[in-house]
Amino acid sequence: MSNPATDVSAHEVTPPGDFEIKDYLRLDLMPHFMCPGCGHGIALRALLWAIHELGIEKDNLAIVSGIGCSGRVGAYIDASTFHFTHGRPLAMATGLKLARPDLTVIVISGDGDCLAIGGNHLIHACRRNLDITCLMLNNEVYGMTGGQVSPTTSESMLTTTTTTGNIEPAFDACKLAEAAGAGLVGREVTLQVPTLKNLIRDGITHQGFSFLEVISDCTEIYGRKNDLGESPEMILKQKSDLRPESFGNTADRPFRPNKLETGVLARSDRPEYGVAYRAHAARAKTRGGGK
Amino acid sequence: MSGNFEHLHGNHACALAAVAAGCRFFAGYPITPSSEIAERMSKELPKVDGTFIQMEDEMGSLAAVIGASLGGVKAMTATSGPGFSLKQENLGYASLAEVPCVIVNVSRGGPSTGMPTRPAQSDIMQSRWGSHGDHPVIVITPDSVAEIYNETIRAFDLSEKFRVPVVLMFDQVIGHLQETVEVSDARKLKTIERKWAKGDKDGFEPYAATKDAVPPMARPGDGKRAHTTGLTHAESGFPTQDTEIVARNMNRLLSKLEINKKEIEKYECVETGDAEYLIVTIGISARAARRAVKTLRRKGVKAGLFRPITLWPFPEEAFRQAAAGAKAVLVPEMNAGQLVLEIERLGSDDCHVAGLNKIDGEPIVPAEIVAKLEELAR
Amino acid sequence: MELTEVRFAGSGGQGLILCARILFRALSLEGKTAARSQGYEPTSRGGFCFSDVVAGDDELDYPLATALDFLLAMDQVGVAPSRSLLKKGALVVADQRLTPQPPTGNVELYRTPLTDQAIALGNIRVANIIGLGLMCGLGGICGKESLAKAIEGETPRNFLDLNLEALEAGFAAVGELEAA
Repeated sequence: MSNPATDVSAHEVTPPGDFEIKDYLRLDLMPHFMCPGCGHGIALRALLWAIHELGIEKDNLAIVSGIGCSGRVGAYIDASTFHFTHGRPLAMATGLKLARPDLTVIVISGDGDCLAIGGNHLIHACRRNLDITCLMLNNEVYGMTGGQVSPTTSESMLTTTTTTGNIEPAFDACKLAEAAGAGLVGREVTLQVPTLKNLIRDGITHQGFSFLEVISDCTEIYGRKNDLGESPEMILKQKSDLRPESFGNTADRPFRPNKLETGVLARSDRPEYGVAYRAHAARAKTRGGGK
Repeated sequence: MSGNFEHLHGNHACALAAVAAGCRFFAGYPITPSSEIAERMSKELPKVDGTFIQMEDEMGSLAAVIGASLGGVKAMTATSGPGFSLKQENLGYASLAEVPCVIVNVSRGGPSTGMPTRPAQSDIMQSRWGSHGDHPVIVITPDSVAEIYNETIRAFDLSEKFRVPVVLMFDQVIGHLQETVEVSDARKLKTIERKWAKGDKDGFEPYAATKDAVPPMARPGDGKRAHTTGLTHAESGFPTQDTEIVARNMNRLLSKLEINKKEIEKYECVETGDAEYLIVTIGISARAARRAVKTLRRKGVKAGLFRPITLWPFPEEAFRQAAAGAKAVLVPEMNAGQLVLEIERLGSDDCHVAGLNKIDGEPIVPAEIVAKLEELAR
Repeated sequence: MELTEVRFAGSGGQGLILCARILFRALSLEGKTAARSQGYEPTSRGGFCFSDVVAGDDELDYPLATALDFLLAMDQVGVAPSRSLLKKGALVVADQRLTPQPPTGNVELYRTPLTDQAIALGNIRVANIIGLGLMCGLGGICGKESLAKAIEGETPRNFLDLNLEALEAGFAAVGELEAA
């Protein structure tokens, strides 16, 4: 983080220890496909850092993603990676995790993939509470298709399908996930990588469904369209979204209508679905399978 | 009678056969007239340490099945017309990413919600071309409860062997029919499992061309750490739009069933040897045709029945042989004319092809076939 | 091949499919090859519902009924869709109360108070089994012992005695009807 514009003084700098991102990447696929300044790469780094710290073997790691920019992130991870259909990665991961409880299953989705076309799968994944960690990279836009409005686009923002400003209210995905029963719900911004890494650790270690919203930035399309500046400025705006009262009159003026609550927002210890299913099935088996 | 005979409902026979074939994962969504398959699977799978899940929708059901199969477990889903439409998206994925899975379509009247409790055979073309893009798919159409049992097992075998989604399609009448079936002893049954990738990760290509055009499959945990995608991909499994690589890989994918068609094709010929009037049909219409052939033979009309058991790929050569001496071919089907298009395509110029169609939700009865064929014979 | 074709018709929820299952099993026990089909409306209760049993000595080419030898009509809604399938001289048993206009002409018709008999036995739901017993007794479709054995296999244990009693009542009603 050599850019002087990136003021990290408020945060403790966590040394990466023996974490080397290259150990977890498919280097032969580089250069990667993301635009310069895209926040998804930061989220990827935080995820791999968390995986490293947790000592998860790459051979036992399964990454499932859907369609969109977020869907392409998984392919760079040196693990068993599944790039699935639009909106369905959580449903696919449900089958994978139930069939293979030995695997660590992580879903990387986006705001369109997870909340629009895949919204039904999200609420039911939360309800079931199967041990999957879902990272929803929220950049507030359909980037890959050229910048159309998404379910999380903030009000009044410009997109290619809201050229006079968005009037649809945005989803609060975390509230949705909590209400639907997710075992752990959290939100973090890409500005704070170690904190994001720790949140992802919490998500992966939680026995149950973890829904993690990562506030990412789409500089090239969303940022440009809305004059939000280059990547560092966009990422800095995350600070003003966290503490809007402190940034009332500056260029960092928040564009999100509500203050972003970050960290672990909800946690419940209700039974993990896979364990519950297997226990229930074992009981049914001894009883002879019911009527 | 030797063996273990059970009085089974068609849909239950399908569920029991799936378990016997080694299916250990089922994901489904309730839909008439296929729900009995899900219900039975929910009871049977726990007995064999398998997993049943009722998903939130039809897309999710096939998605979960594909997830389980990519995890290395034989998996199945079941649905009917409206759900089959919704499943086309992930069926295409399974086809391109070459994920073994079995999709049951207990067909009912359509289009749209149609007639949920009435039989139809109007998904014939959808079962072949329902998903976008050129894609390999095997479709099997049993005509009795015993055949549902045996063909469900074969569906798993074919799906595993050729890494292709297999659609098992039978109409509501057959699905809800009860007949006596000889069931297999699962312990003695020889079933096929997909070829697993062996050797080192270095140099491993998940979609490398092999002689049978079916690449061995990686499984999470085996150290291969492969990538699977619905994007057109190279042998490496990673997406590409390089025209040469795309053409090579798509040609390999599309040649898979053609190369192995001898093993995939299955059909039945009834009195076709000297048949002057050939009936071609599937499912409950084929049962009607069986009786019609007997009646017509008694009346001195040389009738025969050619019944594709593997509907797609259509057993072309076998049909041509059966139709060689025929003056006319009649295609009775419970739709407005679908299978007849394939028969017109395959029939010789001097052979008259006629359809017999019924779209009112009632099965075609033997007398209707007899009457139509007598009309053709006049 | 001589086939026996039997239909149980009425309104959804009357136990018509159960009746057909019992008959299917009983005929199988007697060495027949049987097929049972069913049709219903998209309602769980009410609406036209039927279940047919076709049985013969050899493999069945066509498993559906084309010419009914027997019809048990438990409700008026079962009559109209079944009428055209009735063979000349077919035996028809119709519930007196719920089937006010049974098929007539060219059939051997027995109108009996099946529902009332079931109520007398203590449960209206066994009207179907009484009808099954009566129709089998009148038509000689299959033996009482086979039916009793089939009932054991097809019905819940806590209803077994009641169902067997209903079967007996059905067979017993044969004598009364023939005497009448």
